[in-house]
Amino acid sequence: MIKIEDLTFSYSDTARPSLKGINLKIGSGEFVLVTGPSGGGKSSLCRCLNGLIPHFYGGEIAGRVSVGGMDTLKHSTKELATRVGMVFQDPENQLVSMDVEREIAFGLENLAFPRDLIARRIEESLDTLGIAGLRYRQIHELSGGEKQKVAIASVLALHPDILVLDEPTSELDPKGAEEVLSVVTRLNDELGLTVIIVEHRLDRVLQYVDRLIVLSEGEIALDGGVGDIVSRRYQELSRLGIGVPPLLRLVNELKERGIDVGQVPLTVKEGRAVLDEVFQKVRGELALTGGSDGSRTLVETKRLYYTYPETGLTALKNVSLRIDEGEFVAIMGRNASGKSTLVKHFNRLLEPTKGKVYVDGTDTGKATIAELARQVGFVFQNPNDHLFADTVEEEISFTMKNLGFDRAEIEARVDRMLAEFGLEEYRLRYPRSLSGGEKQRVALASVLAVRPRILILDEPTRGMEYRLKCELMRFLKEYRKLGNTVVLVSHDVELVAEYADRVILLSEGKIVVDGEKHEVMSRALLFSPQINRLAQAFARYGVPGNILTVDEALAIL
Amino acid sequence: MRSFRYRDRGTPVHRLNPFGKLAWLGSIIALTLILDNPVFLLLLFISTLPVVRAARVWSEWRSSIKFTAYLCAAIILINALVSSNGATVLFAFPFQMPVMGTPVITLEAVFYGAAMCLRLLAIISAFAVITFTVHPDDLMLAMIKVKLPYKSVLVTSLSTRFIPTLIDDTQRITDVQRSRGLELDKGKLTHRIRSRASIVTALLSNSLDRAVQVAEAMESRAFGTGRGRTFYRDIRLTRTDTATVVFALLPFALGIYLAVTGYVRYQYYPTAQSIAMSGFEWSLLALMAVLLLMILPLAYLKRRVDLD
Repeated sequence: MIKIEDLTFSYSDTARPSLKGINLKIGSGEFVLVTGPSGGGKSSLCRCLNGLIPHFYGGEIAGRVSVGGMDTLKHSTKELATRVGMVFQDPENQLVSMDVEREIAFGLENLAFPRDLIARRIEESLDTLGIAGLRYRQIHELSGGEKQKVAIASVLALHPDILVLDEPTSELDPKGAEEVLSVVTRLNDELGLTVIIVEHRLDRVLQYVDRLIVLSEGEIALDGGVGDIVSRRYQELSRLGIGVPPLLRLVNELKERGIDVGQVPLTVKEGRAVLDEVFQKVRGELALTGGSDGSRTLVETKRLYYTYPETGLTALKNVSLRIDEGEFVAIMGRNASGKSTLVKHFNRLLEPTKGKVYVDGTDTGKATIAELARQVGFVFQNPNDHLFADTVEEEISFTMKNLGFDRAEIEARVDRMLAEFGLEEYRLRYPRSLSGGEKQRVALASVLAVRPRILILDEPTRGMEYRLKCELMRFLKEYRKLGNTVVLVSHDVELVAEYADRVILLSEGKIVVDGEKHEVMSRALLFSPQINRLAQAFARYGVPGNILTVDEALAIL
Repeated sequence: MRSFRYRDRGTPVHRLNPFGKLAWLGSIIALTLILDNPVFLLLLFISTLPVVRAARVWSEWRSSIKFTAYLCAAIILINALVSSNGATVLFAFPFQMPVMGTPVITLEAVFYGAAMCLRLLAIISAFAVITFTVHPDDLMLAMIKVKLPYKSVLVTSLSTRFIPTLIDDTQRITDVQRSRGLELDKGKLTHRIRSRASIVTALLSNSLDRAVQVAEAMESRAFGTGRGRTFYRDIRLTRTDTATVVFALLPFALGIYLAVTGYVRYQYYPTAQSIAMSGFEWSLLALMAVLLLMILPLAYLKRRVDLD
């Protein structure tokens, strides 16, 4: 179906090739997961499959790519559209019509199909994706997951043999991601569509795919059946910096200790079966280290209500909480449960409809956002929203200039931040041209330069690869060592289980639970990490039901 | 952030054929240009209100009009200051200007400014009806039907598609920069403009990135194959639709008659003419009102016909 021979490609504005000597054969009906560090060439590989490289993105290309017998060098992307369906990362940027039906019709119209055939194909695509109910809905009213399903339906309408999805879930919340992935799995399973999916979160897809390919620095670093890779080539996988599901890590750590459980489980269900014997022998309690010592309250809300004036929607209802010095608090909850609305009150981006918010004892109603910015740093999800300056140096000094720091101080602090975040060589570079991880570092450095006591991060790791997540968490650890407070809004259950101390769970604008993470995250179904779901099953053997992470599990085994 | 977009409220006005509505808009714009009688201009504006009401787009309409109101204030003020044509002096400035002599504000200039505003209000109001009751894609189809090139029409429609996205982006980026201590509404005008530069730069760069991605996605869905293109949805003109177009053009026809015959002609300068009209002219006004409002019964009629 797909045959790639000695493919090497470099974009016209870069010297280093993005793909180097790729040789690859993918058979009809295969379900292939492509992963690897960002900048490793995953997107470039996708673009080669439907001729976007070299027809849309110019550059230097050598080698051959043939898809279903068509040479992509000779055939344009438009001609390949009926062979290869491409779905991109940001659903927002691939939908061009106002409503769902017209969106699906778009590609068919481009191919000048007659009206009755278009009608039939629309019907078929809507049914295949199970979104017939969305037919006449406006695109901008849809959720991220729904938009992505519409995007898939609209390429599917062209009857491609191959579906290529380039990080289709990284802009979505867990529920949306789940929906999209289950649809994709079904397409492969029931329609026999060849699927190539790029994805960072292995725990979401690993159990469905046949084959795993890791791209690193433009080369295929690993390629093989999933079962083979996770059992026999685990070392290689983790050396490449790929974030493996906790269950997988647990089993492999056990193997290193001489406990070989044989088969490697990919789901919690398999885990329960495979690890039963190991956990039978476990006794013991999990030693919990105390959270905050309650020294000093940095953020406090008192009976906080917030109603959006435009929609009349009440997003926060009677929220009272205290966050102390040195705490790492995660705020979790479903979409639209009020998480972002809540944290935007901490630096007065939003003002309470009713109630009060205090930062370090000061009523935020009596301070400006700029005054609060000395105390409260805010990092948003997309570093691109932060970056605007011509140089990294200028970007980092921006906040300090706004707050009226004197020149010598600014210079000294910029130097320090550049050194701390390993950005010295990029001092005069244009921030937006940097890689994803570097951008994140610049954004973080620009916020931390004023040394705020409280750092708020709103979904900073969504769509982020494992290595960058670890890097971010390392910076946060350093920051907390100085007695500062971190407030993290996140959907990422495993990340929160690993790094936070305290979890606040919101639902419909109210605090449902607020407590130490082990209490909140065990037995919480949607918000329980993989290891906890496993441990729950072994509670009958006396395994503590509140372990959350691999290290905690290993400690008691 | 408050943002107004087309929303299908399913009213008869929404159901009306886009050509009919466009003809109605065209009539109103043309009439504001060929008529200068303030009573007729007022009628043009007022006649759009029942349509706005029937379409249930009051809140959207109000925001458009609010913006226009500021513009109107400016128009009246500037016209009053600049034009010294009138005879009835309301106020004379206590100084001399070279060439112009003593600057004065005259009743007629204020009055003329107000009439200009009525024109503007009528046009904006009619535009609001179109913007908020015609599906942007239908508008695009209508433009293609009248043989505008597809690609330029598509660009227009794409930009409407991305307005909500752009508004969200702006809101987000503003939040980011404000939490970085940027104060938008402090200091001198130059400072205020400069402080917005960071937002605009980020916004522009984001939009450029988006544009490339949109282009890439369109290419992947066979855009621009060059074999021509079909359109899945079509706007067909039924007999009632054709009737709507014809009826919507009738006020314009009457306007031409008025302009040619010189009835209801009106003079603002040097002294504003009395707005008193002859009996026949009043009948013409009534006729105009009826013709302008014909669009409503036609809309309801169309719904009846469609249901059958």
